[in-house]
Amino acid sequence: MLQRDSSFAKEALRYGLIVLVLGFIVFPIFWMIVTSFKPAADIMVSPPRFLFTPTLENYYHAIYDKNFLFYIKNTLFISVASTILVVVAGSLAAYSFARYNVGDGHILFFILSTKMFPAIAVILPYFLIFRDIGKTDAGRFLGIGLDQPGALIISYTMFNLPFAIWLLVSFFQDIPRELEHSARLDGLSRLKVLRKVVFPLAAPGIAVTGVFTLIFCWNEFLFAYILTRKAASTVTVGVESFFTLQGILWGPVAAAATISVLPMMVFVLAMQRYMVRGLTFGAVRG
Amino acid sequence: MYELKSVHKRYGLSKVALRKIDLTVRDREFLVIYGPAGAGKSTILNILAGIARPTSGDVLRDGESIMHVPPEKRDAAMAFENYALYSHISVGENLAFPLHARGMNRADIDQRVKRISGILGIGHLLDRRPGFLSGGQRQRVALGRAIIRPADIYLLDEPVGHLDAKLRHKIRAELKALAEDLSATVVFTTTSSREALALGDRVAVLNSGRIEQIGTPADLYHRPANAFVASFVGDPPMSFISVEPRRGGDRVAFVTPDGMPVAALATDAVAGLRDEPGSTIQVGFRSNEVRLAEAGDPGTLRGRVDVIENLGYVKIALVGIGSDQVSVSFPTGKRLSVGETVAIAFPRDAVHLFQNARAIAHAAPSA
Repeated sequence: MLQRDSSFAKEALRYGLIVLVLGFIVFPIFWMIVTSFKPAADIMVSPPRFLFTPTLENYYHAIYDKNFLFYIKNTLFISVASTILVVVAGSLAAYSFARYNVGDGHILFFILSTKMFPAIAVILPYFLIFRDIGKTDAGRFLGIGLDQPGALIISYTMFNLPFAIWLLVSFFQDIPRELEHSARLDGLSRLKVLRKVVFPLAAPGIAVTGVFTLIFCWNEFLFAYILTRKAASTVTVGVESFFTLQGILWGPVAAAATISVLPMMVFVLAMQRYMVRGLTFGAVRG
Repeated sequence: MYELKSVHKRYGLSKVALRKIDLTVRDREFLVIYGPAGAGKSTILNILAGIARPTSGDVLRDGESIMHVPPEKRDAAMAFENYALYSHISVGENLAFPLHARGMNRADIDQRVKRISGILGIGHLLDRRPGFLSGGQRQRVALGRAIIRPADIYLLDEPVGHLDAKLRHKIRAELKALAEDLSATVVFTTTSSREALALGDRVAVLNSGRIEQIGTPADLYHRPANAFVASFVGDPPMSFISVEPRRGGDRVAFVTPDGMPVAALATDAVAGLRDEPGSTIQVGFRSNEVRLAEAGDPGTLRGRVDVIENLGYVKIALVGIGSDQVSVSFPTGKRLSVGETVAIAFPRDAVHLFQNARAIAHAAPSA
């Protein structure tokens, strides 16, 4: 009897904790979504109102008056382009570090060490560099300059690549060399071995890296704020424009935030099934 | 025909895997490379496959160097000791992989997968991923993937090492039959003496990167080139007794340091024996070449039974004689217990003689 009581208490405690943690995580999102449907008069009142007449005016304001979808489009282009660059360059670099131990670990550490200084330390040099590149013909042609998407794509790639390489190296190291040897004996060339054996097995690592990079790009504010004005601004900068002289437009801010969270949610959920570790489980004698 | 010519392989600066070995793999032969762990067996296969490059030396195929030929162009099929299965695809797809890679058509692939999985008893596992198989099942998939396609040479790295005894016996027999059926050239590595003797047309005994001896199983068993081969081939291994030679007339007698006679051989049979002070001379016996002495046997050695092993069809006693240990087989019906003192009768003339671990004479029993 005593046993049962204590196990019941344990279960109750377990679920209690889960509800508490979920509350912390989910409630702000819930409140953001709720606020996005509230009329202006119902937002900043005390006590907070849970019952109200829902309205779409905040979305209307964000999308039509502030042209928020323009920022979404910018962000999507910049984030996806940067993520593709990071994943492709990162995979190839990490593979060579993992297989050929290029630089005997020192180059790998150096690459990671570039992550160790804060972003604010490099923002001024970046600003000057992109300003000057933007004035050249090549810079204009490639869209690399202040307030152009190229500047942000390059900055984000620079910033994410070290971490991506670091993360991917361990995934490639986990793939037994014998699998590659075996595939070559089976008649595949070096590049085909990468395509048919190595990359499929490293898929979970590549997925994780892609998700991290995309989320970083999507949420980044500092670089986007300093390096863009209007034409290449991203959602984080876009939301900032809702902080007006008349005050903060909380309703449209909530609507804009809801719109910008959605693509990330869909993406992460879609990638979730690739993010399981242990795809190489069973490849070699354990 | 494949040839390794003076092949030396070093990993890093200090680890030497192969020391200038020469090895010929004849067409359609079943060559077993037998040696202890770390002897360099896998390195030989890797060099034949083109996965590893010799540090120096040459690899020839039908007289032409193939050092520059990449693995995918060598037409070698290999089963890896640690399986190396593609864990992201099913067992069936694993088996079909080398066939797909070579552009075989669907119907032929299916038929081959069916046949090989049938032989190896993994037909019911084709839809599973390797991660869900037992070690023995994975090893059979690895073996299947190697033998499923026609290849110029099959390199099998301990392909039955992790199977249970019954399955090992069965697969071993299937493998030998299959190799003969296909007239295939096979290089097979193993750490089991039994496997080496049972399978090999020829066996190369490898130790610390050197080939100690290469020959037919009968050669290795009856005429080992040195004490290492003698003590490594055969189960139980050959036992040795340290002796001193006493020359007299047309015969040389070999006696223990205590003066007990062990063997006597004709002088011309031991022509290779040199009178070097301080050299170690040993007489070697197989466990079935000696027996427990009965009353009246002349010149026996006495010793204490240290261990008794029951193999079912025969028992083996390890008998300590001085600082040496001799294994003697005896019928299972005979009662003997550990600690008992027994006398051992030697065949006198049917012995193997070693000087400084090198074989001097293999005397056949006189008729």
